[in-house]
Amino acid sequence: MSNSTITASPPKHAKSGKGKKPASLWSDAWYDLRHSKVFLFGAALALLLVIVAAFPSLFSPLDAFDKSTCDLARARDGLDATHWFGSDNLGCDTYSRVIYGARVSIIVGIVATLVTSLVGGFLGLLAGFYGRWTDVLLSRVAEIFFAIPSILGALLILAVVGRDNAGIGSVVLALSVLAWPLVLRIMRAAVITTKSQDFVLAARALGAGPIRIMIRHILPNALAPVIVVTTMNLGVFIAAEAGLSFLGVGIQSPDISWGLMIADARNRFLEAPAPLLFPALFLSITVLAFVMLGDAVRDALDPKLR
Amino acid sequence: MDIPQLSAVAHPLREDQLTMRVTKGAQIIAGSALLALAVAACGGGETPATGGGTAAAQPVRVEIAEPQHELVPGNTAETSGAEVLNALFIGLVNYDAEKKPINQIAESITSDDQTNWTIKLKDGYKFHDGTAVDAQSFVDSWNYTANGANAYEGNYFMGSIAGYAEMNPVDPDGEGEQVAPAATATTLSGLKVVDNLTFTVQLTNPFSGFPTMLGYTAFYPMPKAAFGPDGKVTEAYGKSPIGNGPFKMAKPWERGKDQAISVVRNDDYKEGKAKIDAVDFKIYTDLNTAYRDLQAGNLDIMDQLPAEAIGSAKAEFGDRYIEQPSSGIGYIGFPIKNGADYAKNADARKAISMAIDRKTITETVFSGTRVPADDFISPVVSGYRQGACGEACTYDPVKAKALYDQAGGASLGPIEIGYNADGGHKEWIEAVANNLRTNLGAEVTPKPVEKFATILDDLGAEKWKGGFRMAWIMDYPSPENYLKPIFAAGAGSNYSGFNNKEFEEHIKAGDSAKTLEEGIAAYQAADDILLKELPYIPVYFYQTNGAYSQHVKNVKIDPFERIDLFNVEKV
Repeated sequence: MSNSTITASPPKHAKSGKGKKPASLWSDAWYDLRHSKVFLFGAALALLLVIVAAFPSLFSPLDAFDKSTCDLARARDGLDATHWFGSDNLGCDTYSRVIYGARVSIIVGIVATLVTSLVGGFLGLLAGFYGRWTDVLLSRVAEIFFAIPSILGALLILAVVGRDNAGIGSVVLALSVLAWPLVLRIMRAAVITTKSQDFVLAARALGAGPIRIMIRHILPNALAPVIVVTTMNLGVFIAAEAGLSFLGVGIQSPDISWGLMIADARNRFLEAPAPLLFPALFLSITVLAFVMLGDAVRDALDPKLR
Repeated sequence: MDIPQLSAVAHPLREDQLTMRVTKGAQIIAGSALLALAVAACGGGETPATGGGTAAAQPVRVEIAEPQHELVPGNTAETSGAEVLNALFIGLVNYDAEKKPINQIAESITSDDQTNWTIKLKDGYKFHDGTAVDAQSFVDSWNYTANGANAYEGNYFMGSIAGYAEMNPVDPDGEGEQVAPAATATTLSGLKVVDNLTFTVQLTNPFSGFPTMLGYTAFYPMPKAAFGPDGKVTEAYGKSPIGNGPFKMAKPWERGKDQAISVVRNDDYKEGKAKIDAVDFKIYTDLNTAYRDLQAGNLDIMDQLPAEAIGSAKAEFGDRYIEQPSSGIGYIGFPIKNGADYAKNADARKAISMAIDRKTITETVFSGTRVPADDFISPVVSGYRQGACGEACTYDPVKAKALYDQAGGASLGPIEIGYNADGGHKEWIEAVANNLRTNLGAEVTPKPVEKFATILDDLGAEKWKGGFRMAWIMDYPSPENYLKPIFAAGAGSNYSGFNNKEFEEHIKAGDSAKTLEEGIAAYQAADDILLKELPYIPVYFYQTNGAYSQHVKNVKIDPFERIDLFNVEKV
């Protein structure tokens, strides 16, 4: 890494054996993370969930999308050896549905996170770096979106999109449209702080152009808070997707989503609790995994917490 | 009549109405999202109008779906609007427990030849504005409904009265290019006022069941005040109808805006005073929301519970749970004239019917509160034959698959089944879809639509190609009512496009029989044709599963799914 990325924070764990390279914020953070139980646990859980989402057939013998595996005669039956989590109202196996339902949650979480960090990050970088009218314009636009209450806003967007077009794409759109201003603000603040530092002035004095300064000098030093926010957001997006699907505007059947499963099972909860409890449990675990991950990353990257 | 919550209504719409509707729909969708939030936030405890502090001062709150139109008797053909109008109006006849007509406003309804009927009225009935309920008020109301230019939902019910044809000229090429010729009359020639309390009705054909029709919403009278200077029913009347029943409107109702219709007791009602002083009909887009309000004490009476709740409602409500046979039939219908390949093919429809496991669906999805259908005529009226549907309604996956493959199999394309998401239909449609997927090997797409009216509008415009859920609840207790209004060519609720000469002839023979009983064989012959062609697939017979809160007692639901609000009492 270039000299310019050396930050003000004192290298706490710099003397870790090989320590020939000067310690950077990133190597410090990585050292912290490797030694954080919360991070390791969260990461393992998140990794497992990603694998489940990518290859559900490895974990479930039944294909949840194959409706011929549903048997109405078994509707709302309890747990047994072949149907570990019982059966839902239509006699479909809850376990396989829970496993296949992971995919939607993970995709929505990751894609919405990527979209918001790219859009919000890029615009935040511009706003913070150029300041003046660029900043005013972008910040005001962001504030307009910021003012919309998130669930209400998402409901309205999805209601406009309509049930027929609802799906992963529309949910990602609804979540992203409302979440990017947060990333913009954080990026902008970080860029403004970094911009006035000596190494940036030095680079400018040496004749570096604005693009080079932005990408080589400012971006790497302003990225940390954005990474913290995005990791945390991932869990929030997953919860929001389930919430929207639960309300009937998000993912639509025959797609499988935990929120949808909870909605379908809620009216017969007293009679058959399993089809509601298991997707809810998996939803909680998933959100927990990403929140833990985010927490650990924040601990490692936030200089104030050191 | 079509059932909105459970189902709803139907009729081809004119273009201008269609546009108006689309805009309204969009508003409602956005509105209902907001409403859902509001309800989630505060438990939905809004009490409009007379809402006082204590439970005793509160009006009785009854669940309905949004009525399809403004509240005009002739233009109301779905259960929600009829529920409200039933509180505001009374008809010539009412029905006893055996569904036989008993005279209410009518003193007598007589005929020697089943064609010319003389109706005498009792004296002393008054509209809410103080004017008398006389022969003219019936004749005016019926004439207006019968006028094709008004495009009223109840128009079809006047079809048996002489002079109807002159008021409703037939379009020469159906839905095609040519326009129907202008009407040559604006009143029914078959209606004649003899004196203040007597009028005569001449029918085009003998119809022995005529008196059974007269308790239906479309036959309610309307006062002079309903009509504006131009002779049209005024907009104000639709918002605040002046009736002749035990309740009157508390304030005008703005359709699409007001979430409740408030009525108060009519103290001048001839038959005495109702025991409760006010009723709020609360409009819900989702039965489950309504049910939660009922559980929470924010709603008093529901005449149809969501399917998911029925299993636990029995235990939860105990004595306050109502279960009784009802006249409704649930179908899956097909646009057999303009639909997709599988919809047009009679063998494919029969195969689909045979692939549906009615028994398991009624037992599990409906928790045993519906029974498998085996006829187009409901068991609650005479003329029903157990097992009439025979093989076509018997679950046989193997034969169904063979028949479906023979009819074209996969080449028929994916099967689509539309349903309205606001009426608790998702589960059984999904269950049927699973049956078809498994048993026929077909690709099946259940298609939820925000409002039932959307499906009906699309069917009217010939844009709906796939299957659709449908339900029918009788308007008057006659087998004819399960056949003619739904399957006769050009009938108001004929969404399948069924058109069969032989069928029409059997119906005609039944109608002209000396008595209702004698006509039954002919109606059954017509029924047999339906069972062979299956434009709709009968899936289950409804039962009424209602419940009421601790605030009220003596709640009775009649076979028409209407609550007898006159006798409801506060606890």
